[in-house]
Amino acid sequence: MIKILIFSLLTMGSIAAVSAADDESVTVYSSRKEHLIKPLFDAFTKETGIKVDYLTGTGGALIERLKLEGKNTKADMFMTVDAGNLWYIGSQGLFQAVQTQVLKNNIPNHLRDPKGLWTGLSVRARTLVYNTEQVNPSELSTYADLALPKWEGRLCLRTSKKIYTKSLVASLIYHHGEDKAGDIISGWVNNLAATPNAKDSHIMNAILSGQCDVGLVNTYYYGRLMAKKPNSPLKLFWANQNTTGVHVNISGAGVTKYAKNSKSAIKLLEWLSGTKAQVIYGSLNKEYPANQNIASDEVVSAWGAFKQDDMNLSQVGILQATAVKLMQKKGYR
Amino acid sequence: MALLVALPIFVVTFSWALPEHELWAHFSENLLPNLIHSTVVLLVGVGIGVTLLGTVLAYLVVMVEFPGRKWLEWVLFLPFAIPAYVLAFVYLGVFDYSGYAQVWMREALDLPGFDIRSGSWAIILTFVLVFYPYVYMMARASFKRQRINMIEAGKLLGASPLKVFFKISLPLARPAAAAGLLVTLMETLADFGVVGLFNYDTFTTAIYSAWGDYRSIEVAAQLASLLVLAAFFLIYFEKKARGQAKYYSTNVSNKKPYQAHGAVGWLIALFVFGVFMLSFAMPMLQLLIWGWESVAQEWSAKYFDLISSTVILTLSAVIITLVIAIVLALPSRCKQGSIWLKSVTQLATLGYALPGSVMAVGLLYGINQISVVNIYFGGESINHLIFGSIALLLFAYVSRFMAIAYSSIEASAQQIKPVFMQSARLLGASRLKLVMQVYLPMITPGILAGGLLVAVDVMKELPATYLLRPFGWDTLAIQVYELSAEGLFERAAVPALIMVLFGSVLMLIFQVLDKHTSKGA
Amino acid sequence: MLVVRNLTIQYQDNQVLQGFELELAQGEIFALLGGSGSGKSSALRFIAGLDEVRSGSVALDGELLSDNGQHQTPPESRGMGMVFQDYALFPHMSVEKNIAFGIDYQSKREQQIRVKALLSLVGLSGIEKKYPHQLSGGEQQRVALARALAPEPKLLLLDESFSNLDQKHREVLANQVRGVLKKTNTTAILVTHDKAEAVAFSDRYGSIKNQRLQEEK
Repeated sequence: MIKILIFSLLTMGSIAAVSAADDESVTVYSSRKEHLIKPLFDAFTKETGIKVDYLTGTGGALIERLKLEGKNTKADMFMTVDAGNLWYIGSQGLFQAVQTQVLKNNIPNHLRDPKGLWTGLSVRARTLVYNTEQVNPSELSTYADLALPKWEGRLCLRTSKKIYTKSLVASLIYHHGEDKAGDIISGWVNNLAATPNAKDSHIMNAILSGQCDVGLVNTYYYGRLMAKKPNSPLKLFWANQNTTGVHVNISGAGVTKYAKNSKSAIKLLEWLSGTKAQVIYGSLNKEYPANQNIASDEVVSAWGAFKQDDMNLSQVGILQATAVKLMQKKGYR
Repeated sequence: MALLVALPIFVVTFSWALPEHELWAHFSENLLPNLIHSTVVLLVGVGIGVTLLGTVLAYLVVMVEFPGRKWLEWVLFLPFAIPAYVLAFVYLGVFDYSGYAQVWMREALDLPGFDIRSGSWAIILTFVLVFYPYVYMMARASFKRQRINMIEAGKLLGASPLKVFFKISLPLARPAAAAGLLVTLMETLADFGVVGLFNYDTFTTAIYSAWGDYRSIEVAAQLASLLVLAAFFLIYFEKKARGQAKYYSTNVSNKKPYQAHGAVGWLIALFVFGVFMLSFAMPMLQLLIWGWESVAQEWSAKYFDLISSTVILTLSAVIITLVIAIVLALPSRCKQGSIWLKSVTQLATLGYALPGSVMAVGLLYGINQISVVNIYFGGESINHLIFGSIALLLFAYVSRFMAIAYSSIEASAQQIKPVFMQSARLLGASRLKLVMQVYLPMITPGILAGGLLVAVDVMKELPATYLLRPFGWDTLAIQVYELSAEGLFERAAVPALIMVLFGSVLMLIFQVLDKHTSKGA
Repeated sequence: MLVVRNLTIQYQDNQVLQGFELELAQGEIFALLGGSGSGKSSALRFIAGLDEVRSGSVALDGELLSDNGQHQTPPESRGMGMVFQDYALFPHMSVEKNIAFGIDYQSKREQQIRVKALLSLVGLSGIEKKYPHQLSGGEQQRVALARALAPEPKLLLLDESFSNLDQKHREVLANQVRGVLKKTNTTAILVTHDKAEAVAFSDRYGSIKNQRLQEEK
């Protein structure tokens, strides 16, 4: 019995290994969901003839797999959301530095790793959303402002377990220092109208139903909701415009250290930063293109231009664990 | 073989070799006291809830004749086919502050709104409605085997129907109900989807935090080993509490000892129907509405691949798990089973309490350790051969769901009087004949129930499949997750509905087989 | 005093009893004879209220318990006791708990005294803490009897209660049980297929012939 088991383990594994070893192809591990990456890869294959194999999975687990596969990994590229994840993969020595002129021209500095280990490909902004019937936009200003007592019982936030919250808090620590950031979090927790929500869409539903007046969301969730219910009394407010700018995060990718097809992988990365891919990125998920030469999607640009926080996003990675610890200390679930 | 199944457990336990004091200090100061409290509250609440609901429903459909009983008996299994987090999501959509129910309450009845995610009653209720089929299924099988004259004796001694239930039927069904309860509690401990939606912190939260936030797979594994320990004690205390009492019974009767006439009958029917509405019909309606809106956009030829992967993986996993579970349960009925074997078997069933992804990573680490040893002796790493093979994924399923198959078969084997086995041996039956002609037929109900539970669980399984599957082996559960994680619930309803459909078909097969075997008994 | 009138039992197309009648005085012991399928157990179950039928009535001490399907007192409120063929002891309860099951409205102390008294009445002692599976067939039988007698039933029904025992034990036990019933002045019906047992055990006996009760003397 055990022998048969081992035998089948071995044979099945090697069959998989052989079939994946095509010549002109790239293998991508992605924690971006299939329906968001497949159109991009299809377009790439059509244009270059290079085939793209991909495996989706949750970020953390997929990173462990990459780590354990070591030199034998099939992955040429790793694609994920959140700068913190990208930074971590880089810090584990699983990415190789890619500093091409194309990437430098296409993607601004603060969205790329200083050593070139990873590159941001799309930008998501996390900002304030409010009920236009309950809140006058003149009352709104910064993330820190939401910690003031005037918002008591009026605030909805997303769970601290979500990576977007962690990154936002990391940026607060970067700008204000740990003590001040801790005070802001305490203020937020005091002002909560409900247990932190699991999804951004829940936050907006809560605002619409009157449970709270203001919340923090990624803009594309707002875009999706407004597409479905265009008459909702909801509006975005660009935070920190007179100070540090709106907190942004990225989805991005890097070429793995042990890539077998690093040439094709670099080609794919450059292509993803180029015009065609960036337009697809913007329209697929209503995100902002990372390439600043590309205009945003029509719907997205209607929300107005804003000033981005230009802190280098590797800081998010460096400070993320501190941010989580701080939130856990302050009782932000 | 049992040792092999228990591999992830060993990996998790040996993680203690690498302590990380600083992180532990932070956890025990800021997280653990609250987590342990909320986990215990959840387990106690869910435990009481599923035991009551599961056994009461099973008792009603087996022992009482009331209007609509025949089809209610079968549809009560169905909620099991819906993934827990999908149900939780629908419940939140209906009952949270912004949900239809609360909006109606505020507007039509002028009642104040409330946050159902604060406190623990709502999440407990959700878990109860999601997991009661485990207890229902096992208790029902047990009630069916109960001798009717036991209940008649109780009646003639002046016992009210309630007293008969609490003093006779329930205690007699205890081993089976306890098996269902155990599975429920382990599933609750390992859950991440439902607690995530409610933002309710349990022990699993700490495991994920250690791993995801602090990148410490070691502390995650150490915390997970505490879960395993908890599961071990749950099993131990159940076994111990059973003590001297024995629970053999074999007679089967089709007659219902209680007839509920008139208003009482309709009240019972209403109650059972209400549970069915809340746990299945209502969520299904929501899924159907969503599915209807999005099927044109979502359906593609890709679904044929998803379906075939799901079916192949499910079938293979069920067959392997059942074969191993039958072999493991065999010694428990014979005297030769050594203590050593028994404890290893126990260990092999603990995998269920581990969150799926922790278990999966434990598996990868285990194989990595083998590679490290292999390299030390001059060999090569085997990681790339095994990672991403179907065999590894199947191995993970077997390891994770052994508890269900085993406990179900074991509960069935408990009902066999040793005297049957002994008399068969005296009649000169060889060991093989004994197993094939006496043992297997007698545990068939357990095999069926176990196989069905494992099938539905494998079909719904997400974290381990997500991490371990080979290229091109996406399942329906993965499709549900990928869409819903991006907030595309309308589209996620399409694969979810296909899963429910498959689950329902499985239930139907089970129903036919179950009728067949209970006639034969 | 027990009065059964015009009992008619039919299973699908199979007529089992037709116009069955029976009267018993207080303290009288009756034996009902018949082959398997003769309907003797059905009659007993009807008297106990375990089965409902459309036609036939039962009255005990002047109280109408079943009335041609129009009224039906549930078995738990009839004040009858029954000893089953396979005893139907609760396997998850000790002997003590089994016997005290029908009298648990009493205080613990009263229960203990009653259990002790009943056990000595049926000729057993010192087995209070044992479980049914640890007892012999004869011992289980006595415990079942003690359990049925505990609530002091107005009528005791014995369904083939001795037929699982061997010849020697059967006679001894039947004799003892008769003694116990006489001592407590309990009215009783024994269903059996063994004529010798019926003769020895009862004050009066009869058998079912042509779907009716025919008394023999």
